[in-house]
Amino acid sequence: MAQISATEQPHMKQIDLATLNIQQLGTLKQQLDQELDLFQESLQSLKMAQQKFQTSNETLQNFDADSEGKDILVPLTGSMYVPGKLIETSNVIIDIGTRYYVEKDIPMAKDYFQRKTKFVTEQMEKIQYLGLEKSKIRDAIVEIIQLKLNQQQQG
Amino acid sequence: MSEDLQKKLQSELTSFKTVQKELQKAISTRQQLDGQLNENEIVKTELNILPADGKVFKSVGPVLIKTELVEAKENVSKRIDYINKELNKVDGLIGTLEKKQDAHRESLQKYQQQLQQAQVKAALHS
Repeated sequence: MAQISATEQPHMKQIDLATLNIQQLGTLKQQLDQELDLFQESLQSLKMAQQKFQTSNETLQNFDADSEGKDILVPLTGSMYVPGKLIETSNVIIDIGTRYYVEKDIPMAKDYFQRKTKFVTEQMEKIQYLGLEKSKIRDAIVEIIQLKLNQQQQG
Repeated sequence: MSEDLQKKLQSELTSFKTVQKELQKAISTRQQLDGQLNENEIVKTELNILPADGKVFKSVGPVLIKTELVEAKENVSKRIDYINKELNKVDGLIGTLEKKQDAHRESLQKYQQQLQQAQVKAALHS
C-alpha cells in the first residue's frame, strides 16, 4: 500500500519526444507499457483490499454489545465448523499488518475500516489518474514513431 | 578481423545480459523492501493512534500472544530503521548496476557499428 505521489518530481527533465530516435522511442514505449501493466495489477490488489475493508465495515454495522450470547459457527478449517456463542461483543481484534493485532471497541473499529477504505480508494484514484496520464504519453509516442517511420520510408 | 569483433560482441552481450539480470533482481528486492516499509509505517501509525492501555497481540504461528504496546512500537520502529538501511544499500546497488549496464550497452553499439562497417568493406572487396 504505497503512498503515491501525483506531483512532478523536481529532478525530472522535460524531453521533447520529437528529438528522440525510433529506438529510444521504442524503449520509452516499452517502459510505459510495463508501468501501465503494473498500474493495472496494483489497481486489482487495491480493489481486493478495498472490498476486504468494506466487508469488515459492513459486518460491524450489524454487530454491537447486543450481539452477546448469539450463536455462531466457528470455522475450524475452510469447510468444517463448530457451533459457538459470541462473548465480549463490545470489542473486536483487528489485524493491522505485519502480524500485529489490536483490540478496538466497535466505534473505533468502524472508524478504522472507514479510514482504511478511504485510504485505499484515494490510492486507487491516484493510480487511475496517473495511468490516464501515462497512456496519453504512450499514445503520443506511438504517433511519433509512426510519423518517423513514414518519413523514413519517403526519404 | 570480423571474427574477432564477433567474439567481442558476443562476450559483451553476455555480460550485458548478466548485469541486466542482476539489475532486475535488485529492483524486485527494492520493491519488496518498499512494500515492507509501507506496511510497517502503516502499523506504526495504527499503534500510535491506540490509547496507552490498548491491547496489542502478536501472531506467532497459530496463536495470538499479548504484547505490550511500548514493546510493539519499539519493535516496529527498529524494523523500519533496518528496512531503511537495506533500502539505501539496494539503491546504491541499483545505481552501480545501471551505470554498468549503460557502459555495456554503449560498447555493444560500438561493436555492432564496427561489425557492420567491416561487413560493408568485405562486401565491397569481394
